[in-house]
Amino acid sequence: MLILEFLVKRIAQGMLIVFITSLIIFTLLRVVPGDPVRLIVGGMAPPDVVERVATKMGLRDPIIVQYGRYMRGLLQGDLGQSYLRPRSGMIATGGQYVDPTKSDMAPVIELILERLPFTLQLGGMALLFALLIAFPIGVGGGLHQHGWQNALAFGVQSLFVSIPNFWLAIVLILFLSVKLKLLPALGYQGFSYVLLPALVLAVEIAPFIIRTLTTSLGEVMQATFIDEARVRGLSRRRIVYSHALRNAAVPLVNLLGIQLSTLIGGVLVIEYIFDYPGLGNLTVVSVVGRDFPVIEGIAITTSAVFVFINIIVDLVAYLIDPRVEI
Amino acid sequence: MAVTTIVGAEPERTTARIRSVNRRILLDAWRMPSFRIGFFIFVALLLVSAIYPEVSSISATKMIVKDKFLPPVFLGDKWSWDHPLGTDQLGRDMLMRCLIGLQYSLLVGIVTVVLIFVIGCGLGLFAGFKGKWWDTVIMRITDAQLSIPMIILAITILGVSRPTVPTIIIVLALSGWPLYARVARSAAVAERGKEYVRGLRVLGAGDWRILLLFAAPNILPPIAFVAVLDVARMMIFESILGFLGLGIQPPTPSFGSIIADSRKYLINAWWIATTPGIFLAIALTSINLMGSSLEKARNRIYGGL
Repeated sequence: MLILEFLVKRIAQGMLIVFITSLIIFTLLRVVPGDPVRLIVGGMAPPDVVERVATKMGLRDPIIVQYGRYMRGLLQGDLGQSYLRPRSGMIATGGQYVDPTKSDMAPVIELILERLPFTLQLGGMALLFALLIAFPIGVGGGLHQHGWQNALAFGVQSLFVSIPNFWLAIVLILFLSVKLKLLPALGYQGFSYVLLPALVLAVEIAPFIIRTLTTSLGEVMQATFIDEARVRGLSRRRIVYSHALRNAAVPLVNLLGIQLSTLIGGVLVIEYIFDYPGLGNLTVVSVVGRDFPVIEGIAITTSAVFVFINIIVDLVAYLIDPRVEI
Repeated sequence: MAVTTIVGAEPERTTARIRSVNRRILLDAWRMPSFRIGFFIFVALLLVSAIYPEVSSISATKMIVKDKFLPPVFLGDKWSWDHPLGTDQLGRDMLMRCLIGLQYSLLVGIVTVVLIFVIGCGLGLFAGFKGKWWDTVIMRITDAQLSIPMIILAITILGVSRPTVPTIIIVLALSGWPLYARVARSAAVAERGKEYVRGLRVLGAGDWRILLLFAAPNILPPIAFVAVLDVARMMIFESILGFLGLGIQPPTPSFGSIIADSRKYLINAWWIATTPGIFLAIALTSINLMGSSLEKARNRIYGGL
């Protein structure tokens, strides 16, 4: 019952957050300079054509009217249509004229759903790699607070945070892909194309996991129940794995919720560099092309994913440690 | 009368103790070798990037096409001491470009963090102290802002408006404040219930007086120590923006744009892409070493670890 109440409350709050997010992004896009119509009709179009198309698309109405129209569509599951991408998949260029008011433009929801699995795959692999890198180092550092393991954890963490992800991506492409020909890098033609971008992302996330793991494990190991476990004659392995780690896991799970936005930001840049067909790449291309409906759709999707994952994180934290308040 | 003197003496004693705690944290961090290594590298970089561009006659933006693609010292066969890190595709000195890039990077990083600190902690303290619907409104906005990844917000704004140094700083600050608001708010909520605040209330001190003169000096320094780490994070963001073409615009060099331009010459002139990255990584490592040492020292003093 408690969990049900929690879910209802958090989902209601989450919807409010998504609503505010969409409002912020919507207003920002309308307020900042840069007219999408100019790009749609092409640089050579006379001003009266620009005005006509803009009025037809409803871009000259007051922001609040536009937003109301947008929200009405959103409630019916319609995120609008892209300004730039026709259904066929090609990006319309400035030269040819595609009438954006007609229905031959790709619906935003399709564009997003088509790419979301790729991004989730990349994010999942990155998280897996990050845990594989961070776990041994973090646990070692946490258990031996004054040993070399802690110094190693500290060093690795400081170094990894300091490596710019896009630079690492380029260097890895140069060495692993171009020089050694070990892994494919650009585009997507199969699972092996995920590995290199996921590795770069993992290096970006790993330091946060290492830091949290060393600190929280270090704190837990000083707790009295660990001493008592020793007195009870439990083996060290048993103490660490079934008592200490379980208690140290709560901050770690919370961290994943907070670091999600770093992960999403990293995904964006990394996808762009590796030309990986995910949401991040779509974002960069849409921002450059001022494809407002796509940007709004992505912002709403990411904030919904963010809210959703944070609810899951709190729930998991509660399941691990029922003392956590939800 | 006796009661008032006791309550009146309380805040003074608290601030004196906290100030010494802060000094203890700084001293503790200073004793760590990692802090000193970071500090010395950072100061060295700072001095070099401040002095070398002033005294050297080499320009970071002047193109000398006959000198293009010169490798760094001791590598390849055409290197020279005039260009210790080589030259790029247009014959511009890499060392100079890196140093100018570092200047802008540091400028953006530090100013942004100061802004974030002021906005975030200001709103957080206010929300936590005022409570009621102020708290609800500010914290819900914070949640919404947190759920938009800052990079999406940043490229959305910069992609459609012209990126200059002030706009970059404002955009980064705008997207970075929510975490600080959260931390400051929870600290302020905890502080609100403390004895000395209640005492001050009894004495008739206003909200603002308590907040600015007594609570803020207790709450802010621990947050400020960790803010050092965010300088590095903001510098990375600045370079990512530059890489996407949304940062400081050419011909002014910035780490991101240098690396983005160099991708075309990756195979033949690898140093154009790698040296700015290593340069940036060294600068960031030095800041992160200082930041993590401060954080460690803080945790040790507050948490006993």
